[in-house]
Amino acid sequence: MSKKQDVMEKLDKVYDPELDQPLTDLDFIDDITIEGSDVEVKFRLPTYWCSPNFAYIMAEDIKEYVSEIDWVKEARVTLDDHCASDEINHGVAQGKQFSQSFEGQTTGDLDELRKTFRIKAFYSRQDRFVRHLLNKGFSKEELVRLTLQELEDITLSEEGIHLRDKYLQKKKELNHPGTCINAITDPEGNAITIDDLSDYLLGIKTTRLSMEFNGHYCRGLLEARYHLEKTN
Amino acid sequence: MYRTMDGEEIFIIDAHIALWDASKENQLNVHGQQFIDCFYDYQTSLSPQEFWWDKEDFLKYSEDRLIKDVFHKGYADMAIFQPVLLKEFYKNGFGDIENSQKLTQTYPNRLICNDTFDPRHGKRGLEELEKSNERYSLKGVKLYTADWYGDSKGYKLSDDSTYRYLEKCQELGIKNIHIHKGPTITPLNRDAFDVADVDDAATSFPELNFIVEHLGLPRLEDFCWIATQEKNVYGGLSVAMPFIYARPRYFAEIMGELLFWLDEDRIIFGSDYAIWEPGWLIEKFMEFELPEDIKQETGAELNLDVKKKILAGNAARLYDIDIEAQKGKINNDRLAQEMNLSSV
Repeated sequence: MSKKQDVMEKLDKVYDPELDQPLTDLDFIDDITIEGSDVEVKFRLPTYWCSPNFAYIMAEDIKEYVSEIDWVKEARVTLDDHCASDEINHGVAQGKQFSQSFEGQTTGDLDELRKTFRIKAFYSRQDRFVRHLLNKGFSKEELVRLTLQELEDITLSEEGIHLRDKYLQKKKELNHPGTCINAITDPEGNAITIDDLSDYLLGIKTTRLSMEFNGHYCRGLLEARYHLEKTN
Repeated sequence: MYRTMDGEEIFIIDAHIALWDASKENQLNVHGQQFIDCFYDYQTSLSPQEFWWDKEDFLKYSEDRLIKDVFHKGYADMAIFQPVLLKEFYKNGFGDIENSQKLTQTYPNRLICNDTFDPRHGKRGLEELEKSNERYSLKGVKLYTADWYGDSKGYKLSDDSTYRYLEKCQELGIKNIHIHKGPTITPLNRDAFDVADVDDAATSFPELNFIVEHLGLPRLEDFCWIATQEKNVYGGLSVAMPFIYARPRYFAEIMGELLFWLDEDRIIFGSDYAIWEPGWLIEKFMEFELPEDIKQETGAELNLDVKKKILAGNAARLYDIDIEAQKGKINNDRLAQEMNLSSV
């Protein structure tokens, strides 16, 4: 595998937390420069105004993932054309916390924000997967009883497997206790009762829609901003 | 006025328009340039190509053009200015409030000009709001909570200083509070688009109406939740509207959610002119039907009666407009004569 492929493979793991989509899919990666063991990744966002906190999370994640590659000695990240480019680029280069990079403008770091959007991503993936199961003929009763073990064993289409894996990956990131055996749970790992299921599904659907809606906006704005070919 | 195939005349209020000046001469810095660039990207990414403006025209356009686009070509019978200040980005501010007011005086039956305030202006701002109300008998204000002021990168509706202003609005009878959420509000580590502060204010000021522009996007789910709890919270469709062309399926899904969570009495049409022209949005909206599966899942209906509420009825209620009486007033007014419609 070429060095560039190594880098791309790592960048596939960096997600826009608001959209729950990889930066590589979103076309946010503008350029990758490799000189020996030094890598510079340039990235761009749909607007000059995109929230600096999310931009910071993406910049930190790019640096962290690219630094995992064994031949990389130095990973540099540059965000272009953004109202907080300087603060973000310097801050992430020096390994500063967000609150140090924006001194006086924060009340803490980004852990809470990361968590909020991890939960939104969980809802969104769960909605897609649950809809898939219901469309395939699963009943709501079966859904609430389904265990994680059974979920591994059931036969699914290619799309179903993809949706399941995406969902389980997010569920794992939420670190539910081992005693939690149900497959479809709330973000804290609690089972959902049959009485609560319908309302629960109504709620998570708006989160999924909101994230998808924003994804379309962001793609459209990026294409307009950088005169890219329209995707559809 | 939009005329259906059956000949029925549909009265239309565009509840979100602007007259702005983003000309090079008025830009203070790179932020001013980037702000209007972003608006322009919104236009070109979500409008049919025949409705893309020349960039130069988009920076600053005349009152004549606005009247033509909104009323002659745009079907609107009335429109509401929702100005934003952006004094840190533009020398005289972005929204041209003075000329919006002048135009409103020229066409008093057609235009309503809301004012704006910034709670960080303290006592001076409160006095200005009072003066403005004495002069114009304000019906509403537009707030842009992400506006910069000195070192501050925005404010919240739940701030004490904002409460002083909302108390003043309540006292003066300025009952319609339009809110637009933008990015970069401090503290920067929090979600700048969070609409929880609207919830707070809506509970504390039950006599005021809170119209969340752009449906709280990009936090539609939080907005729906708040609107379910607070009956004086409304959803402004501006920015979501153009999805009717660019992503019709998503537009349908969003309408389904809004009708489910809010009901049909709290959704308000706005074009966000000059980013989008109302003409094509209204044509598409009148033709639009919800797909069967969305109707079934949400129980939502988007029939002609519901469309009429969204296009005028709901805004009319908030702005004390009697649509039937208003039809009489505009039938042969200055604009009608100019449009040569008085004989129709």
